Amino acid sequence: MERQDNKYKYSQLEVYKESLESIHIKTKTIIVNVLLFLFALLLIFFLTRDSIDPSDLWPSLFMIFVIIVVNLLFMSITDDAYNSLHVAMYVTIIGIHVITISLVFAFQTPSIFTSLFLGYAITSIYQDQKGMILSSVMLFFAGTTIVVLHPEFLALYQSSNTENLYIYVFLMVFVTLLTLSSFILIKRKAFFYNQIASIKEAEVRNITLMNQMFEVKMNQKNDYSHYYNDLEVFSEHLSEKIGVDSLFKSRIEALRMLKEKPMFEVAEKYPEFTAAEFEELQLLEVEVNNKMINLATKASKSGDIKVAKKDIFNESQFKSFNHVGDSQYTKIISFAVFYALLKVDKPYLKSIEESKLRDLIFNSEYFYRIDRDIVNIYLENSEVFDSIVNDHLKGGW
Amino acid sequence: MKTFLKSFFNIRSFINKIKNSEFLTFNEVLKVKVKVVNWFLVIFLALTITVVTKENVTLNLLTLLAPAAVMLLVSFLLLRLKISRVAMHTTIYTFLLLTGYYLTSTDYFFTYMLFFVGLTIIIFYQDFMTYLLYGGALTVIGVYYVMTEGDGLIGANSVSALSGSYISSLTYQVILIGFYMVFFIQFIVSDNIYARLNNEWVRMNKTLERYQEFTQAQIIELIEKSESKPVFNSNKFQQAVSEIAVFINEFFEDSGDEIAEVVEFYFFIHNKEVDKVIEDQELPVITRKYALELKKYMLNYRSEIISILFDFSTLLQEDKSYDENRYVYDINKLFKNRINKLLALAILYKYLKSEITQFDKWGQISKTLNHEEIKELFLSPEFRDFISFEQVNFYLDNQELFKKHL
Repeated sequence: MERQDNKYKYSQLEVYKESLESIHIKTKTIIVNVLLFLFALLLIFFLTRDSIDPSDLWPSLFMIFVIIVVNLLFMSITDDAYNSLHVAMYVTIIGIHVITISLVFAFQTPSIFTSLFLGYAITSIYQDQKGMILSSVMLFFAGTTIVVLHPEFLALYQSSNTENLYIYVFLMVFVTLLTLSSFILIKRKAFFYNQIASIKEAEVRNITLMNQMFEVKMNQKNDYSHYYNDLEVFSEHLSEKIGVDSLFKSRIEALRMLKEKPMFEVAEKYPEFTAAEFEELQLLEVEVNNKMINLATKASKSGDIKVAKKDIFNESQFKSFNHVGDSQYTKIISFAVFYALLKVDKPYLKSIEESKLRDLIFNSEYFYRIDRDIVNIYLENSEVFDSIVNDHLKGGW
Repeated sequence: MKTFLKSFFNIRSFINKIKNSEFLTFNEVLKVKVKVVNWFLVIFLALTITVVTKENVTLNLLTLLAPAAVMLLVSFLLLRLKISRVAMHTTIYTFLLLTGYYLTSTDYFFTYMLFFVGLTIIIFYQDFMTYLLYGGALTVIGVYYVMTEGDGLIGANSVSALSGSYISSLTYQVILIGFYMVFFIQFIVSDNIYARLNNEWVRMNKTLERYQEFTQAQIIELIEKSESKPVFNSNKFQQAVSEIAVFINEFFEDSGDEIAEVVEFYFFIHNKEVDKVIEDQELPVITRKYALELKKYMLNYRSEIISILFDFSTLLQEDKSYDENRYVYDINKLFKNRINKLLALAILYKYLKSEITQFDKWGQISKTLNHEEIKELFLSPEFRDFISFEQVNFYLDNQELFKKHL
């Protein structure tokens, strides 16, 4: 049966990953456009040489101008930045290859043939999987066309000509190695986008879990209703000190109402606030919304968190049951303990029924956190695991 | 030998490794890359031997190709010994030796192409310093080669032999330098993004561990309060774990006695000071090794397994859908209205002062922050992620009111 990687993961991941990627792709778009501008300057320099026919260079210069304009246009779209920037990227990749191919056909010399590699290098800045495939395919076909159909482009003036087969082999090596290198790099980068997005959501949920455990321990719900009374008193004194009329009063009243009434009803009562201000007030509300409580909880735990350089590239930061260097026994025991713990009731998690647990392990990232042989033994013998636990732990531990 | 050859030619496992390269360590990825380059070099060396000119065959074979072959063998050996980094350098030297051979040939364009291939191999390793040094040196040699052998590189279609020579030589040099520079920029961009993402991830990981320490401490307090025993002290639980471990182990070895003993040891160290066990020189090395390995899976503190369990439980937690402010904790990014920012600051102060958020000196969660501690926090560099200096100044100007009324 095929694994469904996306079945058990935080639903918020994809959208946040897109926003993370959009920020980076925007920076890369700017870099690519600066490089294109420099490339244009280089062509203008060649334009000034007597031996160059200007009509061979004008189309490429015009094309660069078009690409830069297209990029600026797409970068200005903020509503759907992710897709706009991707469209701009594909247009740029195709455009760059069209420019280099047209240069090769215009000059028909071996020296300009290598501009195909330069074009490929510029497109590699994007480090995008689809972009990389597009660029590799275009380079491959452009190179093949020239080597096979126009070998005269590669002919030398004074010396013996290179065997075209060798050029072709090296073109293949070039495309394969760079594609493979980009593929590995992109995979790692995507993994980190995923990890960052995942840990951001894990943070929100761990704060919730921590606050829930506090409520369980105290045997009562957290109550923040008294905050508003204190804020009112604080507001009065602060307003008096700075010489203004009640600084927070109407806002605190609106916050109290927001707990029980929908926003439009509160808005009718307080017409002095704009829609944007009401959205902000909703974030400030502490009894129903948890934004300010999460913010304050995070702030309360933020002191003295230091990241040393050695931590940054330390792979042991990844928590798993499959650490390199651990003995087979440790891998087995850690998984056995993990499994048994998932089958007993805990304050934060009730025991999980076997079919659900098997599905969870098979279709989530936890599949990769367990040694492959051990997880396969579990997946093939989950009923045995279940019966062992039932024999010992049915009715509690 | 059979297993060695099987693992050596296992293409499917090799492709799988590349497909799942994000889950490999840096060393494992490097090993895969060196393997790819090694095989390319084998083919390249074989092709080179077939085209050696007859005039200097002995000299060429002895001075360049034989050392290259030896270095290639060394590289395979280093890979086998898991010294991937040295193997990487060896493959680069091997390629440089082969390029050295072609520098003497009259196939100028082919030799020029080798500079691109050399740079490609170095780029393939994705190591900044290696690219900077070897790549830079190769580019300089390439430019020098074009300067000295430029005439041999002029295309038949160049406009005229005289002006064509200058333009052709310039084009070759500019494109080679441009290629090197563009990938240099790509290295800086990707290293920068990677380091930033990694840094943020490690910082978040540490923050997450802190929340989990509190959650775990609350659970321990809860267990103490209910006067029940922790799960790791339950005989039933210990037996269940032991049987599961023995069952899994049956797939790897016949006897389950040894693993059952290790399971017993695992639960035994829960009631000992595990660090003392690890450091105890009188204990057998194997015992200390197991204690060290199993420490991260112990259940009596916020260990790795506890973090994994908490994270696992959050997978099943119901939560709100994503909105653009979901992961924003900076008051200045959340609010545009200045009064709302001040109100948020007041709420933050109120929370820190009135809620139990800290461990006391006995390790119990029972402490709130006092005014001075909050002031210290507000002034700390870590707090710039939440409030700006402008808000800190407002707080300092009105701190008596904060202290008295919130």
